[in-house]
Amino acid sequence: MSKKNWRVLRELFRLRFHGLTVFRFDFFAPFFVDGSLFLIQLLAFGAIYSNVETIGSWGRGEMILYIGTFSLLNAVNMTVYFFGVTSIPHKVRSGELDLYLTKPVSPLFRLTFERISPGSVPLIVMSVCMISYGTASLDMTLSAVRTASYLFWLMLMEILYYEMEVIIRSASLYVVSMARMEQLEEAGIDLCMKLPGIALYGVYKVIFYLLLPYGIMATLPVQRMIGEMSLRGALYGIGVVALFTVITYEVWKQGLKHYNSASS
Amino acid sequence: MNRTNKNIISTSGLIKTYRRYKKPEGMRGSIASLFHREYEEKTAVNRIDLAVQAGEFVGLIGPNGAGKTTLIKMLTGIIAPTAGAIDVLGYYPNDLKNAFKKQYAVVMGQKSQLFFELTVNDTLRLFKEIYEISEDVFQENKNYFVHLFGVADLMDVQVRTLSLGERMKMELIVALLHNPAILFLDEPTIGLDAIASRQIRSFLREINEKKGTTIILTSHYVEDIKTLCRRTVVVNHGVKIYDGATDELFERYQKNKRIIVAFDNPLGTVALKTGSAKLVVDEPYKKEYEVPRQNASGLLAELMGHEPKDITIEEEEIGIVVERIYQEGGGDCHA
Repeated sequence: MSKKNWRVLRELFRLRFHGLTVFRFDFFAPFFVDGSLFLIQLLAFGAIYSNVETIGSWGRGEMILYIGTFSLLNAVNMTVYFFGVTSIPHKVRSGELDLYLTKPVSPLFRLTFERISPGSVPLIVMSVCMISYGTASLDMTLSAVRTASYLFWLMLMEILYYEMEVIIRSASLYVVSMARMEQLEEAGIDLCMKLPGIALYGVYKVIFYLLLPYGIMATLPVQRMIGEMSLRGALYGIGVVALFTVITYEVWKQGLKHYNSASS
Repeated sequence: MNRTNKNIISTSGLIKTYRRYKKPEGMRGSIASLFHREYEEKTAVNRIDLAVQAGEFVGLIGPNGAGKTTLIKMLTGIIAPTAGAIDVLGYYPNDLKNAFKKQYAVVMGQKSQLFFELTVNDTLRLFKEIYEISEDVFQENKNYFVHLFGVADLMDVQVRTLSLGERMKMELIVALLHNPAILFLDEPTIGLDAIASRQIRSFLREINEKKGTTIILTSHYVEDIKTLCRRTVVVNHGVKIYDGATDELFERYQKNKRIIVAFDNPLGTVALKTGSAKLVVDEPYKKEYEVPRQNASGLLAELMGHEPKDITIEEEEIGIVVERIYQEGGGDCHA
């Protein structure tokens, strides 16, 4: 990221923080709401896995690590870019995107980081606690290399998560209504948050490993952490991220060419 | 590209067409449209040739849907033209190059670039970083515009608490902060009262004259165009129907004035001696006349004899002027 973008990012964060502090309820509510949702999610997982000993080769410890990893990916998404990226269809429909296109900074960059949500930070903390609990239940020795490579895969999968979100919202540059695509995304995330990629076979594996690659997002970092990742798996993960980076770039770029701007 | 050294904006045969879905009527039509759709093409801008030189103040007028805003959107790169050549400051606008975007600004009367819950100072800081303005230039420009617009006491209040006129001044400050070579203004005085509109006009004149900023202004208000623009381009149904001196435009095509007279006591229909005055509203306490401009003073003198309570004189609206140009075949007087 260029120096200029860092400075713009700092200003966007400052503006967002000032904006959130104007309304005290809006500032504090996400801490409570997100925290409650996280606890509800934990209860649901607890209910599901209290009677299940193993999924594939994974036992209870691996599953805790998996759920913590997916929660962390989701928490970073919620904190950093979710609210910015999900505002894209509205900006397109209302013509607000006009003002982003006329400024000398990438419109996607500005949209991505314009609505950072500090209220979701506790989700990151809770997810890290869950991951720590998972590694403790596996009696794992956390070496620096293992931790660094886990973080590397987390970062890669966070990029993939972001790209999926952008691709789906970019559809609004081509079609007027796209609500069903967002539902598809929600269903995919919901399923893959509960079920690791190693449990998917056949057509489900094609769907969630390639077409909507939510199935690999938490699976690959966990596989790396527990030492189950093969070279083929690693190359596949990097390939998918590279492929979706190209797709995201093209879909967004061509989408802007299609943009007709709402009539004022 | 048709760009000469002098022209900073140049278009040739510029066309923008939109595809519109035609929905058939009724349930049967709706079901049929799921499998077969009919579209119609709407040409919003049709073969427009335009050349603007540095430092010009050009008015762009036309009725609703004439293609003014579409033209501005193409000149700023927001949308891509369907056909034709376009060159602004040496760039193809829709390439959306940052180097190009740093050289112009756009203010849309109906869209705000301010953060409503924050102060203008907050927004300015963001734009300082986006446009990579040095601290010295930032402070200098900010002080200049704050002083010019007389808004020093409003810089630290929430934008949402500002009046429409104050907000428009702030929009202009934000837009002008980076010293743009071209300022595109799309209906900047829409909804403003007479005082605020006059102030905005005065600021725009100063910016054009003192800073040499090229300004392209679209407006529905005759007053904006008449007082600011030496040159006016008229578009109707996407076609340029006049391009020339503003004075000449209104001299040739704004033929009538509307005189509204109010009375304290009821008055019957007045028999007028002034030729060609047409009575358009005839009420006991109020009369409205449409009269050729050259006969307006005669009619006024005559009406004074009836002891009026109040007299208002209005110019013909832009829509009527455009219609007249269209009917008379228009003209392209720009050298």
